Amino acid sequence: MLGFIIQRFMQAVVVMAVMSVIVFCGVYAIGNPIDIVIPPEATEEIRLNTIRRLGLDRPLYEQYFIFIGNLLQGDLGRSFVYNVPVLELIGGRLPATLELVLISVISATVIGVSLGIYAGYRPDSWLSKTIMAVSVLGFSVPSFWVGLILILTFAVNLGWMPAGGRGDTVEILGIEWSFLTADGLSHIVLPAVNLALFKLAMMIRLARAGTREIMLTDTIKFARAAGLSEATILRRHLLKLISIPIITVFGLELGSTLAFAVVTETIFSWPGVGKLIIDSISVLDRPVMVAYLILVAFLFVTINFVIDLVFALIDPRIRHGASA
Amino acid sequence: MMKYHKFLTPLALAVSLGAANVAAAQQLTMGVRGGPESMDPHFSALGSHAEAAKHIFDTLVWSGDDLQIEPGLATSWSPVDEDTWEFKLREGVKFHDGSDFDAEDVKFSIERIPVVSGPTTTTIYVRRVADVEIIDPLTIHIHTDGQAATLPNDFIRLFIVSSEAAADYSTPETAAQGFNSGAATIGTGPYKFVSWEPKGDLVLERNDDYWRGKGAWETVVRKEIPNDSSRLAALKAGQVDVINYVSSVDYLALQNDSSVDAVIGDSVYVMNLQLDQREDTPLVRAIDGSDLDENPLRDQKVRDAIDYAIDRETMVDIVLEGLGKPANQMMPPGFFGSSEDIPMPEYNPAKAKELLADAGYPDGFEVDLYCTADRLPGDGAICQGLGQMLTQVGIKTNVNAISKTVYFPAQARLEYSMFMNGWGTLTGEASYTLGGLAHSNDPDVKLGAFNRIAYKNAEVDKLLQTGATMMDPDERRATYEAAMEKVMADKAYISLVQLQTVWGAKAGMLEFTPRFDEDTLAFFIKPAS
Repeated sequence: MLGFIIQRFMQAVVVMAVMSVIVFCGVYAIGNPIDIVIPPEATEEIRLNTIRRLGLDRPLYEQYFIFIGNLLQGDLGRSFVYNVPVLELIGGRLPATLELVLISVISATVIGVSLGIYAGYRPDSWLSKTIMAVSVLGFSVPSFWVGLILILTFAVNLGWMPAGGRGDTVEILGIEWSFLTADGLSHIVLPAVNLALFKLAMMIRLARAGTREIMLTDTIKFARAAGLSEATILRRHLLKLISIPIITVFGLELGSTLAFAVVTETIFSWPGVGKLIIDSISVLDRPVMVAYLILVAFLFVTINFVIDLVFALIDPRIRHGASA
Repeated sequence: MMKYHKFLTPLALAVSLGAANVAAAQQLTMGVRGGPESMDPHFSALGSHAEAAKHIFDTLVWSGDDLQIEPGLATSWSPVDEDTWEFKLREGVKFHDGSDFDAEDVKFSIERIPVVSGPTTTTIYVRRVADVEIIDPLTIHIHTDGQAATLPNDFIRLFIVSSEAAADYSTPETAAQGFNSGAATIGTGPYKFVSWEPKGDLVLERNDDYWRGKGAWETVVRKEIPNDSSRLAALKAGQVDVINYVSSVDYLALQNDSSVDAVIGDSVYVMNLQLDQREDTPLVRAIDGSDLDENPLRDQKVRDAIDYAIDRETMVDIVLEGLGKPANQMMPPGFFGSSEDIPMPEYNPAKAKELLADAGYPDGFEVDLYCTADRLPGDGAICQGLGQMLTQVGIKTNVNAISKTVYFPAQARLEYSMFMNGWGTLTGEASYTLGGLAHSNDPDVKLGAFNRIAYKNAEVDKLLQTGATMMDPDERRATYEAAMEKVMADKAYISLVQLQTVWGAKAGMLEFTPRFDEDTLAFFIKPAS
């Protein structure tokens, strides 16, 4: 088991190193932020001064090593645009994204897996057919459109929910959370539903396919023959057997939603990191872009690492195969 | 046509319909597209940054609704000699912490700018200042490097901070912290700072001792909602009272919506087509793809043909949904240096084809057109329209409407032959626009920094250089008008349309006059009475 962990850890380090080079070069290749942010009246002298102050006159490799040097000391640099440390900027917005994403991904998984198992367990009932029909919608309707329709219906026409923004927050462990206040909860419902819809549909389909396959296997037949109740069979045998693909997808979805909830955040004016990164790209705020992408890479690597560990715990074949 | 009438009388006090629930309204919530980048007014020269700063801080010189310069914290100014301006300061003005405003604060603010400015650098406002001399607490002499006729125009975004409150927060490292926390955010403006978070809400409370008089709102919340649809939804759902930058598509829908008033204002932005004048230009080819002997864009006939090929009326009506005006020069009419003698170009595709044939291109030629697609309302669509109009007369145009983050760096590297983007005459006068675009690019005289088409007209250069040193406003105006006429006649820059912007407000609640610089300022928004 230890060997397995070390091996995975080494892989993660290599991925991070490669990622940092790619990100840095990619961002560098887009162009010089000075051309975008400097005002038209600026003289050449002012322009050169600004470039020098931001360290943009140095060659690429030098900038890269300065960046890595600072990174290893936990300093991701200062935003050009806001003149505050990047970590502070991203850190201040991460809780907003985190609570939105966790609420939507977890509820999508719990509801989706339950509905999916039902649809797989009783594939011919009218309810299952309805579930499957509706899940097609979740896949095929673009999320920005759903978002706008949600706002139009529930905020503009019915007036039940706010149209956007984050509500009141309470501070717990030094971090502002909004899902613990009534006002905050009312703000989070629409964006969470919007974000969850696609994942819900996917979870339903995954769980249903898994269930239909497993229900026909000998495991279930023997369990039934042994006189176990249907509820026990579903809980103890079926759920465990269909969970590997679901956990994989859950992890990847969690990561990608955390990193790229941009569309929903933009439509609902949710003050999360997705909005921040889009704004930073539009003004080429390099430190924020680089730091963000590196954090995202780190996030994915971590999530995959954790998922591998979870697999190893629930599936002895992986554990033994790897350490052998 | 009748029902559009209300909307098509712009620039008036367009929103004053009845007096619904106004007395109760003590808070104004604004939904704005972009916000400040810091609470330090000297950090960024961005329009939305200055707009937010104007709530808390005052400028030395004020620019009015039509960008005419008016007294601000300075009550009057006059040149003392060739390179010295005298500014008389307003008496009895107090900062939010109760301390007096005086010459010391002006000197401190000017000297602070080069130290704390960010990449969108505010040093441009003080670039002509060589030295600041305090004569007495209410008189200050600004010594400039050479003659600086437009110095008062430079000062419309010179924000005055308190020399005491900001004393410890005037290095690049400490400025953001001091101002974002509120410790140094002490101005003389109509509202006091309460709180702010980047990309979030700016909360303000009224300064009851404001020298212009008390504002209408006790508290003001300025919410940043960058997405156009979301901003409008927030207005319709009642979360905000007023929004800026309603998109042209939404504007059409709003005309049938009685819950929202639309206010149209002219903007300072004019879309200009720019034609590379270098002998060798990269993105022009013969129609069969082979190289041309010379750059056709250097031929006056070809440039005239291009101008004749453009149907500005259609551009405004169809492409911009009516939210614009045909333009015949690089600045809106009425600005200092705009000429009334420039004719509105005629749309005549037959003539365009004739001129092309005359110039030796009977089959036309092929060109790659580049434009921004995400900077100003309608820029990408105008680009498409332009491509079709030019193709119709035989100039096969490949349209590339791209992101500004790619466009501007490439434009600065002189990679384009034919390109279009908007230019806003933010100062309201021609030395800014013509000095940047129309003078040949010459770092020695600090002119032509944005002339990316190698345009050079010796007469224009001369007019612009003499204009910059003329202290008499009438003479200077005539000089710039003459320069503008020459530039537009050369047609290396072809102005297409002037844009307009739309604000949305809850029906019948607010009264305000749109400003040319597109600022949405709480102090000048009143409850409808």
